[in-house]
Amino acid sequence: MNDLSQVQDLVIYAWWFALGFSLLMYIVLDGADLGAGVFSLFVRDYRERGAIMAAMAGTWDANETWLVVAGGIMFGTFPMVYGSALHYLMLPLLIVLLSIMMRAVALEFRHVSGQTQWLWDGLFGVGSLTTLFFAGMAMGAVLKGYPLDGGQVPTYPGGLLRFISPFSVWTGVGAVIAASLAGGLFIRARFQRTEVIRVHAAAWINHAFHLALVAVFVTVVWSLSIFDWAADKWLGPYFWVWLIPGAATVFATFRMRRATRRGHDLAAILWLNAAIAIMWLAMMFTLFPWIVPHTWTVYAAASPSTSLFTFMLTMGSFLPVMLAYNWYQYWVFRARVNKLTGYGE
Amino acid sequence: MDPFALFLTRLDFAWVTTFHFIYPPLTIGLSVLLFFAEWRWLHTGNEGWYRLVRFFGRLFIINFGAGVATGVVLEMAFGILYGPFSQAAGPYFGVVLGYETITAFMYEAGFIGLMVFGWGKISRRMHLFATFNVALSSTLSAFWIMNANSWMQTPTGVELRDGIFHVTDWWAAIFNPNFLSGFPHMWVAALELALFFVIGVCAWSVLKGRHVELFARPLKYALLAAVIITPLQIYVGDVLGHAVGNTQPAALAAMEGHYYTHNADGSVNTTWNVLAWPNDAEGRNDWALGIPHALSLIETWSLYGVVPGLDQFKPEDRPPVWVPFYSFRIMLAIGFFLFAVALWGGWLIARGRMTLKAMAGNRWFLRVAVFSAFLPFLAIWTGWWVREVARQPWLVTGMMRISEGVSQMSVAAAALWLASFMAFELFVWFFTWYFLAKVIRQGPDMDTPVVAEGQEPLGYLEATPDEDESQPAYVRPYGGRP
Repeated sequence: MNDLSQVQDLVIYAWWFALGFSLLMYIVLDGADLGAGVFSLFVRDYRERGAIMAAMAGTWDANETWLVVAGGIMFGTFPMVYGSALHYLMLPLLIVLLSIMMRAVALEFRHVSGQTQWLWDGLFGVGSLTTLFFAGMAMGAVLKGYPLDGGQVPTYPGGLLRFISPFSVWTGVGAVIAASLAGGLFIRARFQRTEVIRVHAAAWINHAFHLALVAVFVTVVWSLSIFDWAADKWLGPYFWVWLIPGAATVFATFRMRRATRRGHDLAAILWLNAAIAIMWLAMMFTLFPWIVPHTWTVYAAASPSTSLFTFMLTMGSFLPVMLAYNWYQYWVFRARVNKLTGYGE
Repeated sequence: MDPFALFLTRLDFAWVTTFHFIYPPLTIGLSVLLFFAEWRWLHTGNEGWYRLVRFFGRLFIINFGAGVATGVVLEMAFGILYGPFSQAAGPYFGVVLGYETITAFMYEAGFIGLMVFGWGKISRRMHLFATFNVALSSTLSAFWIMNANSWMQTPTGVELRDGIFHVTDWWAAIFNPNFLSGFPHMWVAALELALFFVIGVCAWSVLKGRHVELFARPLKYALLAAVIITPLQIYVGDVLGHAVGNTQPAALAAMEGHYYTHNADGSVNTTWNVLAWPNDAEGRNDWALGIPHALSLIETWSLYGVVPGLDQFKPEDRPPVWVPFYSFRIMLAIGFFLFAVALWGGWLIARGRMTLKAMAGNRWFLRVAVFSAFLPFLAIWTGWWVREVARQPWLVTGMMRISEGVSQMSVAAAALWLASFMAFELFVWFFTWYFLAKVIRQGPDMDTPVVAEGQEPLGYLEATPDEDESQPAYVRPYGGRP
């Protein structure tokens, strides 16, 4: 019996990790696309805007799908969180879904749009911005936790505006800043070296980088001051453990800056992604065993039907295949673009 | 919960489902047909097939974009609008949706980029492989989605303990009775829809005298396929109807407006209502136009077979009749109408009146064919409404009611959702069909050279050694007109 529950716990941890991994993939991959969308709001030349869209044309759909994958994993293995958190986050998610919808149709319709091109360019940029802000806000709102009713299966009792707090507004801003940095690096890496837009992107990256440094610092201090689960871990007896991811993040950030300066565009993106991944993992372990602080632990939220078998089937066979064709897709579409690449003229 | 808020919340979900459901069936069906055409191109080297693939490929991607855009909403909508249901049914329902995202949604996303933008960047065979994978993955997607829905109709293999569905038998849950005919019915519907879409587009072009030599062949092929597919669909639908009759008798009674098991004189009520004025409050039809013995014949294969009416069920377990009754009849009428159109086309072909020269002369047939392209969309909508409304008041038949599974929404929250998605999804629908019409009017691109084997520079995407000197031929992503 004890052995069995140990196996069950291991399966739950594994799924918890898989969920975190999918969300991380989404943040890293779509974050750059969304950031480039925000950047496009400041681009005057319609051909450059088209080229930004062309630069992600072959991959944006797959990037966005990681969010759906994360949703699927959460629905199947942590249904308690899925059914309550999504209801709690109804309003920000409503706006995110509408924004994603507008971005998707903008990307697909611009080719054939003709005179309405300005409309799709605008929807693409604005949709990117609102997706980022409200997704970031949703993330901050989850960290605050939410109430549950006392039913047999505890669920969210309703309340449309409870997600709004100074902290969640701040995380929304933080998401825009972080993605702006990623988007700038994406533009640098995806355009041919002779393109003027890369010069603009360099200045953009510089600003976004300094803002991001401030944003991370503020978020950490703010979390420490209002979240007991964060303070317990970071200032607890094992405080020195948390210095390791901290130092690793600083190192990755430093390497990102160096790569940016030297024109190693792909390396800069990868170092940024490494920094994000380290911070994300650190956040997951800070939260543990909560998935939603003071609301759901991984154990209480897990589906009773999670089994080693379904986990192995998913992670052992489907996920590697998925990563393989994702990688192939990136490989096929790796070449740089220029503003004459022409996306729907 | 406020009854009006409950009603709005149900409408919220009905709306996003209905306005997502316009797109995926065409994606599923058309990807199969695109694969066929591309395979013919590689096999015969006939350039016409290539032009068709590129032309219908442009239509495909417009529709696909709208499908993805509206589809992401649906997954999240379960958690938002049906939170308690998501929590309780997650152990089965959520896992199935999870598999859909991993084995189908992501799979499709992985190859759609290659299929659309990969022309010339990957070899022709690799491109055909990408198209094949898009077709397979969209079919897999239908498999899982239909599985989740049919499990709600006939929830086998699970046990409801402490408010949560525990899976006791995965095999029984996946291959639940409704799924066995429900999935084929949906898949064939997608194929039928795509065939009539192709028939409609080709017929319109022939009618306008545009590229008749190009569109003649797919028109004939699609008509011949429809001669087989349309009766097949009627047959599969009948099998599904029997499955519903066996597993959800109340749903069947609602679909048929069948209130009384027995007539007032004690004889068996065997009448199949063609038209009726259902009155749920009093549990009878105010008037009905029916064919005696037809219902018993259809359902039990005998003249006097007993078909349970709604009077066999407690009032609180009865579905509403109006929507399923009329939706079912509209779907049925369209199914038979399309069968007739297919037979008409087949007859014209058999009589040799669909040759290149004579084809444009069949003006009335071509007009009807264009009209027929719109009907499958309505048939699929109405078919889905039958499924969803006839299952009421259950969310999971016999195990969980709508009121137990729905999120506690205020009227304001539910109305906000409805208003935003009404506005946005009508906007998406309008532009999707507007752009489809635009591309159809433009017609196929017959001039751009056939894409080379894995060398086409997509714009200037390929890094050429002397970028400044050379002017690589610029070819647009889908071979659109310059």
